[in-house]
Amino acid sequence: MRFPTFVLKNVIRRRVRSSLTVIGMAVAVGAVVALVGISSGFERSFMAVYQKQKVDILVQQKGVKQRLTGVLDVKLGEQIAKIPGVKQVNSGLVDFTGLEELGSATGVLVQGWEPDSPLMKALQVLPPGRLLAESDSKGVLLGERLATSLDRKVGDKLTMLGDETYTVVGIFHSPTVYENGSMVVLLRDLQRFMGREGQVSGFAVVVEHPDKSGEIRRIIKDIEALGKNLEATPTAEFVNSTTEIQIVRAIAWVTSAVALVIGAVGMLNTMVMSVFERTREIGILRAIGWGRWRVVRMILMESILLSITGGAVGTLGAIGLTRLLAQHPAVAGLVDPAVAPTVIVQGFVIALCVGLLGAAYPAYRGAQLLPTEALRHE
Amino acid sequence: MNSNEGYDANLFRTEHVSKLYPDGQVHAVEDVSISIRRGEYVAIMGPSGSGKSTLLNLLGALDKPTSGEVFFDGQPLSKCRNTDRLRVEKFGFVFQSFHLLPILTAVENVQVPMFEGRLTAPDRVKKARELLAMVGMSHRSNHLPQKLSVGERQRVAIARSLANDPIALLADEPTGNLDSVSAEGVFDLFAHLHHELGMTIVLITHDEEFGRRAQRTIHMQDGRVKSDVFSERRRVRTPLPPFAV
Repeated sequence: MRFPTFVLKNVIRRRVRSSLTVIGMAVAVGAVVALVGISSGFERSFMAVYQKQKVDILVQQKGVKQRLTGVLDVKLGEQIAKIPGVKQVNSGLVDFTGLEELGSATGVLVQGWEPDSPLMKALQVLPPGRLLAESDSKGVLLGERLATSLDRKVGDKLTMLGDETYTVVGIFHSPTVYENGSMVVLLRDLQRFMGREGQVSGFAVVVEHPDKSGEIRRIIKDIEALGKNLEATPTAEFVNSTTEIQIVRAIAWVTSAVALVIGAVGMLNTMVMSVFERTREIGILRAIGWGRWRVVRMILMESILLSITGGAVGTLGAIGLTRLLAQHPAVAGLVDPAVAPTVIVQGFVIALCVGLLGAAYPAYRGAQLLPTEALRHE
Repeated sequence: MNSNEGYDANLFRTEHVSKLYPDGQVHAVEDVSISIRRGEYVAIMGPSGSGKSTLLNLLGALDKPTSGEVFFDGQPLSKCRNTDRLRVEKFGFVFQSFHLLPILTAVENVQVPMFEGRLTAPDRVKKARELLAMVGMSHRSNHLPQKLSVGERQRVAIARSLANDPIALLADEPTGNLDSVSAEGVFDLFAHLHHELGMTIVLITHDEEFGRRAQRTIHMQDGRVKSDVFSERRRVRTPLPPFAV
């Protein structure tokens, strides 16, 4: 018999307790993998929107952390376009709107673009649809996922909250889950709909030679010189500092931390009880020659076995749950069904740490037991 | 250098050993000085609470005396840095309640002390089977303890105590939970280990008849040695060559 076999038998022998511990651990690790996975998927999608269009700099109102509330004059775009080295400037208005079909509590991302905007032209519209033209007032392009959730096809009508009826002109496919769950209308329609005439949320700037050393920093400086209320940020930095991302990330980690504490306490409880229950047995093992380290190894290995099993169950559960969530109409556009491998590795590392942490005290206590005291224990 | 230099014919020796438990003011063992030679078969007898088990625990390095010194093979145990190692290499323990692990089969139980040794997993299985054969339990090697009779459990426990080829076997009332037939079998086994393998055996028993089978009987009362009787009827074996601690 090998030592790990002995450890495995010890774990299997307490079926109910081991199962409950594995479940507790699975919930904790599953919460981490699911929440952090969703958060990082959201972040990835967000980033991909800009990467797809090769946006280098984002311009928004200074001091506004949430881009949805940012307000800039649409005419600023023309001035930015005149800066040397700027290849293209795309103005856009972005907001969330409610849709009756999804319930008023669910917001859908809606983007307002000019018909000749390269952002619009970059959309991959599925047949028989087409892009929005100047004449398409109250026309809307739906992301593929959103169209599925709403059960709409080209030519169908869509009522936005506020009783405005739009016609579906096209359905577009985007590699990013974030865009797939959004919709696009003409900038002027969104401005009117939101009561923000002449305003945009910001500008996406494409630089001619982004790889040229110091080029992006120089253009940022020039853009910010156009007005005191302007803030230009490189795309990656912008995504990282965006309030929506930060909130999602913070909520994911805080919720995960709570789940982890619960998991760790559960593990500690199981291992402490296991040592208390087996005081006499540990005494026997010590009496027949087991050293302190052998006892420590036994307890730690039992704990690691339970936590890794819990980690595996939790990760599989989280992957399943995320896939299920991604199909739900309410969040379909926001949740990326693919959990990144790094998040899975994170989950396992956390499981291992919680397992070791939960077993540290019981292992110490087990090692400190004197054989005679343990043998007297009833 | 003489090969017998440092050789102590006494395997165990206690010098004015006392043990006072912190939870009471009564000495469990008080001023006990005894010597046990290599290959000797000693029975410790006495009423409950007379200090028999405490003395056995002190001899087996399971406990430390409050005062006095216990010597093993001439070396004071208080100076021994690793009593765990000493226990696993030199002593075999047998308990009244067997203390077999219920989740493990007989052959697996015998292997438990071997984890601290250097044998490979297949060698551990081989040796465990040999030991079970020696105690007459090879036909039950794959049975869990609850499927064995109490006598059979004690035989497995004895096989386990021999796992690391100990010099001495320390048994605390090994027949206390056995019927007379099973007890007889266990004592025959001890006699075999003593006569055939030359093992030093120190056991605690309440049974006068079994006590008389030992070469020597130490009677204890109130933590002290009341009498120490060497039986003339039994042949005293020649001490085995010295073992290094």
